[in-house]
Amino acid sequence: MARDLQRSAEIREIVREAYAAVDGTTEAVACKLYSPEELALVPPSAAQRALGVANHLRYADIAPGETVLDLGCGAGIDTILAARRTGPAGRVIALDFLPEMLERTAQAAAEAGLANVETLEGEIEAIPLPDGSVDHVISNGVVNLAPRKRRVLAECARVLRPGGKLSLADLTVGDEDLPAEILAHPATWAG
Amino acid sequence: MAGALTERDFVDKLERAGFAAVTVHSREPVSIDDLALYPLFTQELIELMRALLPPERQGAVATAVVVTARLGRAGGAEAG
Repeated sequence: MARDLQRSAEIREIVREAYAAVDGTTEAVACKLYSPEELALVPPSAAQRALGVANHLRYADIAPGETVLDLGCGAGIDTILAARRTGPAGRVIALDFLPEMLERTAQAAAEAGLANVETLEGEIEAIPLPDGSVDHVISNGVVNLAPRKRRVLAECARVLRPGGKLSLADLTVGDEDLPAEILAHPATWAG
Repeated sequence: MAGALTERDFVDKLERAGFAAVTVHSREPVSIDDLALYPLFTQELIELMRALLPPERQGAVATAVVVTARLGRAGGAEAG
């Protein structure tokens, strides 16, 4: 148990350091995942630092007036797109464990002229929100980074109201493991 | 990526957490070239993957999935 917790802490630190080091000067990921129409709705600073793995918002039924939680918001591209859909009657809570990312999201929201974005510093394994306080949880490429995924999903369930919606993009793998040399590389845990 | 689950495990964990109507909408293979777009994957790791993975696996190191679900009316089930 103590070893598992130590390993969890190590993984968290690897992820934290890797994401803090991202300077973001390319729109390659954003251009791969989002349409030109979507990219026209977000400031370049958010698009240039997009690190998601797919476009879950194409399938997310985000209604005007909803309270949306963006789990691991990064530089804010999905937060901005979701906030456009909730409209001023709704809001998006952008959660990340890195203050640098929250600053980028807040800046992007300001550049986009959105007043319905709130930033929140916290861990996805212990979301600092009350029970049943959110209509919709979105997340892009984040759950796979968490050492305790059951805990993350339980936290999503706790903060959602009964009947609330979850829209996730994430990486999955096949049954065959990657070679040990690759799995042992710290960057494999961060990306 | 080292912490990624299989799709089966991912869906199972969602259902155990109390989610219903779990639907996988898209599955896109992620190649080494795709991973190289991300600054999180160092050049050293990309080169290691190219050296160690067989050619047939280099085009699909992982799969990017989009999943939607709804929380059951009774709320979450498991705190894990």
